[in-house]
Amino acid sequence: MNQFLMAAAGLLLLLPGQAFADSDKILPYPIYQHRLDNGLNVVTVPFDSPGLASFYIVTRVGARNEVEEGVTGFAHFFEHMMFRGTDQYSKAEYAAALKSTGAAANANTSQDRTEYHMTGNAEKLELMFELEADRFQNLNYSEHDFKTEAGAVKGEYTKNFASPYSRINEKLLETAFTTHTYGHTTMGYFDDIVDMPNQFEYSKKFFDRYYRPEYNTILVVGDVTPEQVNALAEKYFGDWQRGSYESVVPVEPGQTETRFVHLQDGSIPPYFSLSYKGPAFSDEEIDMPALDVLSSIVFSPTSDLYKKLVLEEQKVRFIGGGAFDSRDPNLFTIQVSMVDKADIGYVRGEIEKAIEKLQQDGVDEAQLQRTKSYLKNNFAMAMDTPDAIAGSLSHYIQLTGDPESINRLYRLYDQVSQADIRAMAQKYFQSQRMTIATITEDQKGPFE
Amino acid sequence: MKIPSRTIVALAALLLASIPVTSPASEVVELKLQNSNKIVFKVQFSNGSIADPAGQQGLTYATALMMAQGGAGGMSYAAIQDRLYPWAANYSVQVDKQVVTFTFQAPAAYAAEFYPIVKSVLLTPNFDEQDFSRIQKQQQNYVDQVVRASSDEDYSKFALEHLLFRGGNMAHLTAGTSAAVQAMSLDDVRQHYQRAFTRNNVKLGIAGNYSDEMLKQFKTDMGELPDTEFALPQPSKANTPEGIEVEIIAKEGAFGSAIFTGAPLGITRRDDEFAALMIANSWMGEHRKSYSRLYQKIRETRSMNYGDYSYIEWYSNGGLFQLPPSGVPRSSNYWAIWIRPVQIANQLKAQYPELADIAIGHAHFALRLAIREFDLLIENGLGKEDFEATRTFLRSYTKLYAQSPEQQLGWLMDSRFYGREDWLSELDSLLASATLEDVNAAIRKHWQTDNMFVTIVTDVSEAQGLAGSLIGNAPSPMSYSDLVKSGLPQEVLDEDDAVATYPLNVRKVTIVDSKDTFR
Repeated sequence: MNQFLMAAAGLLLLLPGQAFADSDKILPYPIYQHRLDNGLNVVTVPFDSPGLASFYIVTRVGARNEVEEGVTGFAHFFEHMMFRGTDQYSKAEYAAALKSTGAAANANTSQDRTEYHMTGNAEKLELMFELEADRFQNLNYSEHDFKTEAGAVKGEYTKNFASPYSRINEKLLETAFTTHTYGHTTMGYFDDIVDMPNQFEYSKKFFDRYYRPEYNTILVVGDVTPEQVNALAEKYFGDWQRGSYESVVPVEPGQTETRFVHLQDGSIPPYFSLSYKGPAFSDEEIDMPALDVLSSIVFSPTSDLYKKLVLEEQKVRFIGGGAFDSRDPNLFTIQVSMVDKADIGYVRGEIEKAIEKLQQDGVDEAQLQRTKSYLKNNFAMAMDTPDAIAGSLSHYIQLTGDPESINRLYRLYDQVSQADIRAMAQKYFQSQRMTIATITEDQKGPFE
Repeated sequence: MKIPSRTIVALAALLLASIPVTSPASEVVELKLQNSNKIVFKVQFSNGSIADPAGQQGLTYATALMMAQGGAGGMSYAAIQDRLYPWAANYSVQVDKQVVTFTFQAPAAYAAEFYPIVKSVLLTPNFDEQDFSRIQKQQQNYVDQVVRASSDEDYSKFALEHLLFRGGNMAHLTAGTSAAVQAMSLDDVRQHYQRAFTRNNVKLGIAGNYSDEMLKQFKTDMGELPDTEFALPQPSKANTPEGIEVEIIAKEGAFGSAIFTGAPLGITRRDDEFAALMIANSWMGEHRKSYSRLYQKIRETRSMNYGDYSYIEWYSNGGLFQLPPSGVPRSSNYWAIWIRPVQIANQLKAQYPELADIAIGHAHFALRLAIREFDLLIENGLGKEDFEATRTFLRSYTKLYAQSPEQQLGWLMDSRFYGREDWLSELDSLLASATLEDVNAAIRKHWQTDNMFVTIVTDVSEAQGLAGSLIGNAPSPMSYSDLVKSGLPQEVLDEDDAVATYPLNVRKVTIVDSKDTFR
């Protein structure tokens, strides 16, 4: 018996997930939450990072909220505008003040949220609070600055759309969603981006609607105390006025037949994806945790499918799959990059066979336990900087508004059973819920 | 862009001197972190793609990937991955021009079970045919398709490096050239492992919560790497262009013009004055920072693109990383400007009727603007206030480079490459003691814009007009939409006029078909 086999035998004696604390909370650090009278939630996680802290503001507005005609991409565009100054700090003064923090600072937007983040010297925390509070409450930019910034968004679109994968994603979303705002990308449609300079008045309305305490959460992780953070939050955000706007996002009707979308592009290897309509994120229902476990078992690099198609037969360059965490039901997507387009039908058939097997037989119990162990250890391994912890909590804040969702989710992972996985495979992997996207050098898609 | 023939590469390789690498296998960078829940091993070989034998560009890359993504110790790659899976342990390799770095990470609780895999990957890789077939195909695909199609920005960056080092061993992609990858055999890989992944050119690192016994075992075992006396070739120096030499890569369906420009730089982190030049560079073009000069002028004021930055050393995966990653130390250096994709004429015409008559897009203007900013800095020097603000910023910001145990270890190991114990802490002292005079002296000594290489990846429709404009030093007035132009202050319009006719020392412009690059 070689050393690996001996060690592998030893592995059977280990219990999964025992590498890290056995507490019922996956995050081994307490999460302190304090809600101001105006509804703003303030979250603090002290972490042993001497002199270092991450300061995040999670604004729960993203492409999902772009319900009006002609304003796709606006949440993202507005994120850019947040760097364009206030009465107290002109854009130049803001830039100088930001530089003086010595922090790594930036922002980004996704379907469900806009996230502003800084990681830097914990001694500069009050300045970070002051700068953020000022622009979140008193943003004031000129019409010219507004028009000018639209060009930067166009530049971002231009760089992104060099990639055929970005182009097919835009087509996939608009085909899979006929009604819900997940039907457009966070970047928005190019025509809407070109028209952005004309939306100055709408931008004022946008700020008035969403840059309000009830849409935002402050999150600080690192060499800080909750008392310190809460006091700064009261001082700088205590007077922030609540708003009244409630975003009504249209509901996507059920899909009744397979849809197809194709991009003709021979510059990259042949590619296809199968996207099934999946659930919304929930830290109470078993659906999403079961799908997460399932995707790790069936579509990750340790899956049978990957071993067969990528490692043994070598017909596939890459295969992966998973559900997209979001507030409303979104897609479970399996993506495949092919070696040769002649095998595309065979590979799709193999994926569908794996899904059928899942629907009939479920998964192996030992593999289920190993996957639960993987999920926990993988999370714990990644939580080694204030920014990593804040980034992770921000993800769950965008979904539910509550950072404790992370602990509830991992408790649900522990409860996922073979029966749950089989049930979810039957519930979600149905051909009428699917949109197939393809990229090949041919004018017509291979499955149409 | 054309690849030099194999003969020229072979001749160039023959002309290069060899430096015997004598570092003992026992050189270990240790970083014990008792509170950490993980263990990190790093193994860095002094080889990199410059160690590729003549005509075998990409062999070091293939060998490293065969170790990191193939079977080892008699176990298949799939079996290894199965074993690591419940622990979420992982390992990967990063191949750069002068080093190859393996990184292994596992929960500390599983360190003992994980370690035999670390050892096998490094000492007893399987090097079997099935793994080789897969890895070679992936590598071939990368150099043939992915590098051209996935990001025009990275494409122009790699193309610039190819132009800067053309004819030398630093020129080619670490993944190699199309022809060389195709010609590679498994025997080549086996031989290259024995030759270039040895106990005599390795540096070890360990971080996190590890025992003394583990450290001892690691040191002892790595002494079993091949005992070949590896002669690492000297990295080729960047070519000095004659005037400004531009290579335009014409690509079907490009949305914009992605621009990189650069010139040789004689210093690295090994030199104390590098810190002074860092201050100047940070002020001019700190990576992904909105308050730097280029960003303010090109993006913030004129809305021409997504961002504009400058560099005094290689920055890996700039589109992805906000902070610089470790594992890419280099002694052969150059400085560069990254102008993210700007609009081409066809796009502007389609968007704005008032621009129906323009001949070219924004690339010529953007290049002029960036180079003019460097000229102004070289001529006028950095001001006292900007110097103080930028130095203060950097003394805080550079502390963010090494936050996680893996990052801390990586930066420490790179320090040794430059003959330093701990670059980031030494850098802080150098920044603290730097004076404005030091910075301005470094600017004048190391930056010039008369002789530069420029690469532009752009659409086929744009290439010819842009080439003509550049070689003719033709005026390139900024073409704003009326919406933006109407609100611009007079000082910006005046500056635009100065930029539009700013003379660049362009001596040579060539247009290359995208299909002919990296062959």
